[in-house]
Amino acid sequence: MMKIQELTKQYDGKTVVDGVTFTIPKGKVISLIGPNGAGKSTVMGMISRLIAHDSGLVHFEGKDIGKWKSKELSKRLAILTQSNNIQMKLTVRELVTFGRFPYSGNRITSEDESIINQAIAYMELEEFQDRFIDELSGGQRQRALIAMVIAQDTEYVLLDEPTNNLDIYHATNMMKTVRRLCDELGKTVILVLHEINYAAFYSDYICAFKDGKIAKFGTVEEVITKENLSEIYQVDFEILTIAGKPLSIYY
Amino acid sequence: MNTLAIRANRRKLLILLALVLLCAIGYMLLDVNFSNPKLLAYAMKIRTPKLIVMLITAFAIGGASIVFQSIINNTIVTPCLLGMNSLYTLIHTAVVFFLGSASVVAINANLSFAVDVVLMGIVATVIYSWIFKKTKHNVLYVLLVGTVLTSFFGSIQTTLTRVMDPNEYDSLLNTLVASFNNINSEIILFSLVLLIGIVVVLRKELALLDVLTLGKHQAINLGVDYDRCIRRLLLGVTLCIAVATAMVGPISFLGLIIANLSRQFFKTFRHSQLVVGSALFGMIVLVGGQLIVEHIYTYSVPISVFITVGGGLYFLYLLLTRKKV
Repeated sequence: MMKIQELTKQYDGKTVVDGVTFTIPKGKVISLIGPNGAGKSTVMGMISRLIAHDSGLVHFEGKDIGKWKSKELSKRLAILTQSNNIQMKLTVRELVTFGRFPYSGNRITSEDESIINQAIAYMELEEFQDRFIDELSGGQRQRALIAMVIAQDTEYVLLDEPTNNLDIYHATNMMKTVRRLCDELGKTVILVLHEINYAAFYSDYICAFKDGKIAKFGTVEEVITKENLSEIYQVDFEILTIAGKPLSIYY
Repeated sequence: MNTLAIRANRRKLLILLALVLLCAIGYMLLDVNFSNPKLLAYAMKIRTPKLIVMLITAFAIGGASIVFQSIINNTIVTPCLLGMNSLYTLIHTAVVFFLGSASVVAINANLSFAVDVVLMGIVATVIYSWIFKKTKHNVLYVLLVGTVLTSFFGSIQTTLTRVMDPNEYDSLLNTLVASFNNINSEIILFSLVLLIGIVVVLRKELALLDVLTLGKHQAINLGVDYDRCIRRLLLGVTLCIAVATAMVGPISFLGLIIANLSRQFFKTFRHSQLVVGSALFGMIVLVGGQLIVEHIYTYSVPISVFITVGGGLYFLYLLLTRKKV
């Protein structure tokens, strides 16, 4: 379980995250949404130790996140950010192999090999596994990175805007993968998303941010309402119910 | 395919090693008068330290360049391009300037080198890690700041030598303008011990180099203590550059040439192969180059001229053929 208490972050005297408190339920998909500059990516960075927080607590599985050994934490929690410019000549398989680094370092065991094979098969990357990642399309590269996260075999998976720069086909597939990570592999997935409808269709919980604070946190039905969204985004919304999920229309 | 590539690279390493041996043997034995044992001993006495110095330099620069490139995640920068060797020259001058050429520190070559190395380690690590942090690892800024620093350190050093007592300057010049024809062989043992020490102390960090090249976020995600690791590796790099500069003087483009040759030749991300390959390329360039300089050009053109001209062209080629910096 992950408990976040009074998390605060300032950049150059400007408060970007202000007293954020919420608890992340285990085994669910949680989406962080909100307008640009609302602080959702910063919160993501702080709960994954990529960004240092100024004050507050991130309580992860019984211990403060700063007290965890980085190596131990990397077996429990994986994060994928948008900044992935890998300069090296690396094949898909070699990239996925790095997911086993926290366990075996540079010496890969046969058990690691089979986990790597499973991860590659899970993301349907078998035919690409010997291709260099800089020769892949954006969607394929994103899948390769997800395969690496799967190989890392953590209970918690944090994804920062995984659908960014993907067309609707690949973005929808990415969201289905997220759902499968949770339903089939039992992982807790925390996402930062811009598309409200993806968040509404594929998550269990939604945490909406505005001006560095949590505007609403709850189940999809609780958060995705006309009033809430209009208030958060300052745009007119209509909510339709399709397949039992609230679909938002904005204009 | 994976294991095949690794095996092919092992074979490439062996080929490079054979070339190094060939160059070394050629360098030692070419034009030696075997019939006269005194002449033979004389030639060996001159050539052995020179060969050792070249091998050490090649290892120091080759290793440091690859490690540095991986720290900053870019393959067209090298520590020398960012002014590390100018900094070393400045530190060496400053020590003589403030302590005087007659002081114990300046007279004993090993002690003088030790003082330089300690200062270099502290100053360079502070300056360069600060630059990295401040520019957020933006390579273009780092390169720009580095170029400015190179002339900045150079200017201070020139100023110091101008206001210096001429006698002091004279004795400083001896140790300052080390080159391949005037190597500083007194510190061979010290340098060797230092380099081995660096490799042993940093063995854990060196094993993390592969992961570091995935970028800061991925490295942290995979459990690397990023800031500490970068700091320690940077310290190792500065010490290697100090060793190389102290022994043979500044050779700016060597690191760039051999690091990129190694990357192009091995086409891998595995640093164990890249570092060794880069060091071997360095040995071939230096020993082979010196062989040509001594026997074909009979010392009329120093090897650094070849390296600078060739390196400059190679640098342009790398810049122009890359899709993005």
